[in-house]
Amino acid sequence: MKKSMKIIAFIVAMVMMFTVFAACVPADADFGGGDTTPSPSPTDRTPDSNLGDIDLSVVDPDLTATVTLGNWPPDTAPRAELALFEGFRDIMAAQFPNVTLVPNFYSYTLGTYVPMALGGTAPNLFQPHFTDPQLLIGQHLVADVTDALEDFGLIDMFMPGYLQLFGDGNGRLFGLPRDGYVLGMHLNLNLFEEAGLVDDDGLPLFPKTLQEVAEKGQIIREQTGKAALVFPASATFGGWLFTNIAWNFGAVGEDAITRRDADGRWYVDFTTIPMIAAMEYMHALRWEYDILHVDATTTDWASTHSLLATGEVAMNFAANDAVDNPTAIGGLAVDKFSLIPFPAGPGGAYALNGGTGFMFSPDTSRDQATAILHFLKIAGFLPFINDNIVAAMRAGASASRERGAPVLPPIPAWTDETFIRTQREITEEYSNVDMRLYNDFFDSLVDGSVILRGEEPVHTQRLYRELTNAIQRVITVEDTDIVEVLMRAEREFQSFLDEEVNN
Amino acid sequence: MKTKLKIEKIKYQGASWLIMLPGIALFTFFLWFPLLQSIRMSMYRTVNIQLVEFIWFDNYITVFQRTEFLQALVNTLSYTVWSLLIGFLIPIFLALVIGETVRARGVIRTAAYIPNILPGLAAIILWTAVFSAGESGVLNIILGYFGIDQRSYLTERNLVIPLIVSVATWRGAGATALIYMAGLASINPQMYEAATIDGAGIWKRLRYITVPGIFNLGSTLLILQIIAIFQIMFEPMMLTAGGPDNASLSLMLLMWQYAFGGGTMEFGRASAVAVIIASILLVFTALYSMVNKRKVDWDN
Amino acid sequence: MAKIKKERTGVIRNFDMKSPGAKVALVIIYILCVVIVVVSLFPIFWVIMAGFKELREFMVSTAIFPQRFDFSVYSRTWSQLNIFRNYTNSFYVIMGSLFCSLIFNGLLAYGIAILKPYGYKVISKMVMFTLLVPATISLVPLFINVTSLGLGGSFVPLWLAAGANAFFVVLFRQFFESLPFSLVEASRIDGCSPAQTFFKVVMPLSKPIFIVVSIFTVNAAWSDFLLPFLILRGSELETVMVRLFVFSTEQTVNVDDLMRAVVFSMIPPVLLFFIFQKWLTENIVTVGIKG
Repeated sequence: MKKSMKIIAFIVAMVMMFTVFAACVPADADFGGGDTTPSPSPTDRTPDSNLGDIDLSVVDPDLTATVTLGNWPPDTAPRAELALFEGFRDIMAAQFPNVTLVPNFYSYTLGTYVPMALGGTAPNLFQPHFTDPQLLIGQHLVADVTDALEDFGLIDMFMPGYLQLFGDGNGRLFGLPRDGYVLGMHLNLNLFEEAGLVDDDGLPLFPKTLQEVAEKGQIIREQTGKAALVFPASATFGGWLFTNIAWNFGAVGEDAITRRDADGRWYVDFTTIPMIAAMEYMHALRWEYDILHVDATTTDWASTHSLLATGEVAMNFAANDAVDNPTAIGGLAVDKFSLIPFPAGPGGAYALNGGTGFMFSPDTSRDQATAILHFLKIAGFLPFINDNIVAAMRAGASASRERGAPVLPPIPAWTDETFIRTQREITEEYSNVDMRLYNDFFDSLVDGSVILRGEEPVHTQRLYRELTNAIQRVITVEDTDIVEVLMRAEREFQSFLDEEVNN
Repeated sequence: MKTKLKIEKIKYQGASWLIMLPGIALFTFFLWFPLLQSIRMSMYRTVNIQLVEFIWFDNYITVFQRTEFLQALVNTLSYTVWSLLIGFLIPIFLALVIGETVRARGVIRTAAYIPNILPGLAAIILWTAVFSAGESGVLNIILGYFGIDQRSYLTERNLVIPLIVSVATWRGAGATALIYMAGLASINPQMYEAATIDGAGIWKRLRYITVPGIFNLGSTLLILQIIAIFQIMFEPMMLTAGGPDNASLSLMLLMWQYAFGGGTMEFGRASAVAVIIASILLVFTALYSMVNKRKVDWDN
Repeated sequence: MAKIKKERTGVIRNFDMKSPGAKVALVIIYILCVVIVVVSLFPIFWVIMAGFKELREFMVSTAIFPQRFDFSVYSRTWSQLNIFRNYTNSFYVIMGSLFCSLIFNGLLAYGIAILKPYGYKVISKMVMFTLLVPATISLVPLFINVTSLGLGGSFVPLWLAAGANAFFVVLFRQFFESLPFSLVEASRIDGCSPAQTFFKVVMPLSKPIFIVVSIFTVNAAWSDFLLPFLILRGSELETVMVRLFVFSTEQTVNVDDLMRAVVFSMIPPVLLFFIFQKWLTENIVTVGIKG
């Protein structure tokens, strides 16, 4: 497939998947997002990125606004990153002399945002995970920025799914995407080699289905003595990954985990045949194949990466935005690391798609929103290309390479072809990996072998917690009645929904 | 003359209240008013932090109908029982043992006390590594020397509560032992001599002099301990996050989860749980004052 | 003359020492003491050792001691996580808390114990009641109030919160009540206002209790993380404990760095303890019994 064809196919695939599952709202497990390495990521940039070609003449002298920017880096951030934002501010000051930017580092959490929004002290711009936009829109805690987005011509470049995510259903928009991720699986190839799971070219014979995860895992355990799979069955992480497994057992469509009836009431169904099969699969991983790392119920998201990096486990369900964790942070060499598609199940091949967005405090005016969009444009968060943005992308790829992280193509948040193509070209130029270890993952996004799916739509975190509890029960007690455990979790979550959203 | 005195008096009263005013204001803002708000909030339907509708005791009913609440209540009682078995006896034991030493007493006492001065959070995080499963877990390494098989301690539902209580005891026992040691030191030494003259051996002296000597202190500390363990939150939060499958979820941790954990913001129900905890604690306090055979000294 | 033996103060007395049973008992007791010391100190010792390990060694090694003692690992974590900044923040929190705790709790106790204006009993009762109800319970509304006032991400609420501590008020009050009333009366007759009396007479006489409350306040201000977490989270003002809590709950650092952060967080209280050791062990006993 030719490169440009591939990109177009990619965009079409992204558009398709969101159309098919338009009812689903993509969202993101709330793990602070501290480790995500979004692209274009300001952290990766160096201050000496070339600002020379930027037009510093006044663009709009009439635009007058004072805006607080919650995405400003903390002053504990690397100097390079701060300098970069200072640079953006200088450009802003030249192009829009009457706009005042107030840096206001704010690490968004729902718990802190709500009181700030109601008390009028929230920053104008902040960055929520995909779990929260619908909640914030529903409770009128964010500003309508449709008009400003329209002025920038951005609405046409939205992925349809993101129109859903940041919209109220009546055509009004309240935010825009920053970056996204797709769940797959991280592999430690040292253990695959030790277990003899490599082909003639030395490439891993990785599991393509969940059943193969169990079987190959068993081989790895027998051959290496290490646990094959780490599953973080703690807090909300367990449920987060489990929903993806359940989809692949067929918990979609008729058998979807969460459903909405004609009156708008929400129902959950944890006791469908796919759900029970998925939970039985978890049970088998622990008690039949015995491939899980022992500490599952206290293992959190960060430890999964440490375990994979240090060769304590061979496989980890994780996303493309976390490739830095086992490699640059955990010390695993990039040629001993691989990112593969989320293994398929008997009911299909789905992969969870989540991310982070930009939203605006409720008191943000249209002028303020416009000023912020100009700023985001200068900072390279919008799908526009200029020399400065290209220089910044190069700096980012180069920095990734230097710190020993795989330089990989990002998953685009916009449908702009030029933007995506530029990103890809730069990635290839700086590539430090054998793409054969990653191609399956990226091809699966394009060729339709994996269907992207947003997270379950209502009170997702609570759903995850309930499911995590059930998983903890199943993997710590061998003779558990799986159906009963699921029924109990369903009862708890349904009564929660009835109290919170169904009246 | 009389009016002057009166003015003096009013001035004195005013000045006195003025001196107390900052303190009162701070108590009001940080403790009293939030407490009342908590009670009020527990009777409202809340959407995020806003009180939407007065619903009497619906939050309480909802909370009581949830299995996680009942589980947390049972767990909290289980914490209490285990803390009586472990946390209550160990400080007494420590005090008795350390009290028998002469040489190196100061060192032993200091060593036993040191866990208490560490920041609680740091101490608990440290224990997560101790209990860590697999071959690099500290407890597994040490018990491995004695030929005991590796376990993943914090994933075993029957073990988590006693283990968490052990951590809490590790932190607190040294400080409690100090109090007992002071109590032991205040036993009249002549009683021991008199008993010895009457032919009482070491065990008999322990049984008939030492134990009765610290009995009152013990009963007070027992109630205080129950009150403290009833509020246990950080230990399960950091060690197990309440798991596996809520096996170590405490009431206080449940309150935290409703309010700040998992992004649900159930502030109304969190407040209901808070009020329930406070009510139970007040019952314990009433028991405490009964045990002490005196009312809580309000005025003095 | 033989060495003067120290008096035994436990159940076993000097006159028991002739019996073999008592000697065996003492041996057992000393063995138990060794166990006590080891159990108390080993985890702390271990974490310091573990801090020398790099991630891979930490995850895989079954040895207590690190392969090598390389302090650069510690200094790397120190600078990488910018812990110095957190130390500074903790220092600011401690200083402000110390001021508020001593002045506001002290003044309130002074009013209750010495000035006793009309109606002081109501306040006294309410303060005592506060002792019975754990502060965590009203965390939700307090957090909402503070944030709605726009005081999130600021030290001010933490400083002021230290000025509302019922336990400290009770400690102050007990001490003030034991002061000779004649001195207070004398200063009043000399024409001092109540406020002047507090600063010129009561405070100088109450040094011991001010020191005890200072130590408690410093320790609490250093160790506390719940309210600081809710208030300072995500700002540049995070204290050492908030940082530690964030590290361990929000998945931002590797476990080897976390262990080193634990060690860093332990250093100041341990130093403080050894400086004020005598004060602490003695006064906690009295405080413990009274409280």
